[in-house]
Amino acid sequence: MPLYKYRLGLLALSALHALGAQELSAQAQIISLAAANPGQLIVTVHSGAVQNLTGVTDNAVNDFPAPVVINTDWNVQQNQTNTMNLVAYFTLPAQAMVGGTTQIPSSRLLGRMTTGIPAAFTAFTQNGLGGVGTAGGSLQLFAVNITNANKKDNRTDNLDLRLNLVGFPPLAAGAYAGVLNIRAVTQ
Amino acid sequence: MKTPLKNALLGATALLLIGAGNARAQVGLTSNVATVALTATKNATLSVTPTASVATLASITDGSNVNDFGPVSLTTAWNLTAGSSVRLVGWFATPAQALANGTDYIPSSKVEGRVGATAYAPFTGAPVGAVGVAGGSLQLFSQSVGAGTRFGSRTDQLDLRLDLTGTTTLAGDYTGTLNLQAIVQ
Repeated sequence: MPLYKYRLGLLALSALHALGAQELSAQAQIISLAAANPGQLIVTVHSGAVQNLTGVTDNAVNDFPAPVVINTDWNVQQNQTNTMNLVAYFTLPAQAMVGGTTQIPSSRLLGRMTTGIPAAFTAFTQNGLGGVGTAGGSLQLFAVNITNANKKDNRTDNLDLRLNLVGFPPLAAGAYAGVLNIRAVTQ
Repeated sequence: MKTPLKNALLGATALLLIGAGNARAQVGLTSNVATVALTATKNATLSVTPTASVATLASITDGSNVNDFGPVSLTTAWNLTAGSSVRLVGWFATPAQALANGTDYIPSSKVEGRVGATAYAPFTGAPVGAVGVAGGSLQLFSQSVGAGTRFGSRTDQLDLRLDLTGTTTLAGDYTGTLNLQAIVQ
């Protein structure tokens, strides 16, 4: 009986050989994997998102009472980003603040960020930066060089605001309102 | 070129292209737009400013209304958010003693005033709103205001005189204080 089995195995191998069978393998295929984190910028106003300046004085400098506390959080690729920039701007520079038919232009509104670029009060009359902001109604608040060490980082800054009415026609009594936009952009 | 090698090269090229795409995407990456709501409020104001704080009548003539004080120019300025009129009121705190010379008095009924070309009238009226004293007041003008005119001013000449018709005064200096106050109604 064992001899019978042995002979039967030899017969099977011989048959395979005779058919030209080899070890089979399929063609190699590759799948390229790519996962990209596009980067993330988040600007948050921690406090001072609502600014009320009461008792405006004509022909004088009027400071808003409290700073706008801004947190900027980013996660970008160091070798693909040179700087992180924060820009504040008014959508319509000629009408930064409006009350009735009176318009206060952005040239009368000044910002100061002692930890940023405008260390002294500077008017919102700059041009946009990297597609962010409006021509003549913007102010660059800071620019941070991105390195491997700070490609994921955050910072908190105070933005002080001022309404300069020196030489401006006296305002009619009432409320003047406006919206200041703040946005980060990489360069 | 053998197929596996060719596929490997194609894959590497694809990775490079993806990487290049990311590089472009990182420049100009923008954040959300955070906003700050700004409100500046200009308070309503109302003021009266006379150019002189003293009006003098050098010599009183008894029994006559020709007792004119020197005219006083005064400017009334307003910057309002509401109201339909600005009114200027002159008044004496104690009508029975508008001017006094010791214990000799000239009542406010003997003191007359006018603004512009209006007729003289005595200070015997009622208060206007909360301004004035009963029997010792005179509304000098009432200026209508509304949309477009709530921010303005006017300058007037205030003429004052004593009407001493039928009255004799004791010799001496008579002094008094006329209060001027504007009110919005």
